[in-house]
Amino acid sequence: MNLTPPSEHDIHAYVDGHLDGPRRGEVERYLARHPEQADEVQGWRHDAQQLRTLLAGDVAPAPALDPLRVRARARQRRTVRWATAAGILLCLAVGGIGGWAARGMGTGEAPMADAMQAYRLLALDHGVGMDITTGNESDLRSWLAGRVGPDVRLPDLADAGFRPMGGRLFATDQGPAAMVLYDDGNGHTVSFYVRPPGPARRFLPRGAREDDGLLANYWSEGSHNYAVVTLSDTAGRQAAGRVTGKAI
Amino acid sequence: MSDPHIDDALRTMLPRLRRFALWLARDIHAADDLVQSTVERALARWHTRREEESLRAWLFSIMYRQFIDGKRRANRYAMLLGSLGREEPTWPSAERVAVAYSTLAGFASLPAEQRSLLIWISVEGMSYQEVADILEVPIGTVMSRLSRARRALRQLGEGDPQSPSLRLLK
Repeated sequence: MNLTPPSEHDIHAYVDGHLDGPRRGEVERYLARHPEQADEVQGWRHDAQQLRTLLAGDVAPAPALDPLRVRARARQRRTVRWATAAGILLCLAVGGIGGWAARGMGTGEAPMADAMQAYRLLALDHGVGMDITTGNESDLRSWLAGRVGPDVRLPDLADAGFRPMGGRLFATDQGPAAMVLYDDGNGHTVSFYVRPPGPARRFLPRGAREDDGLLANYWSEGSHNYAVVTLSDTAGRQAAGRVTGKAI
Repeated sequence: MSDPHIDDALRTMLPRLRRFALWLARDIHAADDLVQSTVERALARWHTRREEESLRAWLFSIMYRQFIDGKRRANRYAMLLGSLGREEPTWPSAERVAVAYSTLAGFASLPAEQRSLLIWISVEGMSYQEVADILEVPIGTVMSRLSRARRALRQLGEGDPQSPSLRLLK
């Protein structure tokens, strides 16, 4: 008689001893007539037994893997993670609040640094590159009023021996600024620089500072910031003193 | 938070978990890391376990998934690094002796899924359905994969002077 071959499932179940009486008999009968397959199945059985024997040995105990210890470690790691997160948050908060508090603080620049830059640009070249070249004070006054603001007061420095040569506009972060350059006919120049305080309305206390051979006197008046810039030599100081005395 | 019943249940499973981990990772250090992360995950997900599910199958399934995920990550890194610096696995001394048996040597060289199948079915005596659930495949697929694994092991063990028993028995 020719038996239908058992299913793959039954063959494995036979190898693994999961097959009960009648079906087990069926598989055995089939294998008895198919020696090649019986061979293979026998081999599988042998391998399974060997694996069981060889792998049965217990590995050395590892107390570190006890659930209690695993719990403790996980807890510890969570704490460290929280602490790290809290630390990062704190840093962000300090940085953010600090940054907000320090906003505009100096903007990294000394007061009226732009006035000194303007002086370097123009006065040292004695007025080359000015937007308006005139000694007429009323022309300069209306030029300033139109560009920077109607209430800008242009000082009259004729008593101090200085006459205006002309002016130039500058773009600053706070808005349009203007510089008027004065000359005493002896090679001394004084610049009069004015700009709006900008949206932050940062007005300046009266002060003076020297930087790289230049002297700047600055103050705020009305709605503008002013600076008078000269060379920081003796003649420059005297001129600046006379100008600021006049300008106030 | 810590429940002594859960801990006890896990503790009794530790030897099996370690054995499976060892043959999965084929390295005692990697194996213990695997057991550690499996226990940790099991503790974190204890409430998601279905009551009727066997604890052993559940833990094996967690471990197997962690191992496969870890290997995938490792492969990605290896690809990024451009080199597969295959490290020599470290065996505990008892196992080092055991590997001398060529059946075990052959077994150790099988792909991870085949090693897992043979441990679950031949050594642990798990049901085909449990294995199908772990691998998330139909039971028929488990059967055909089991055939492939058993044939592969047979082939590697063939000509093995340590296991002439079969030929003698016939």
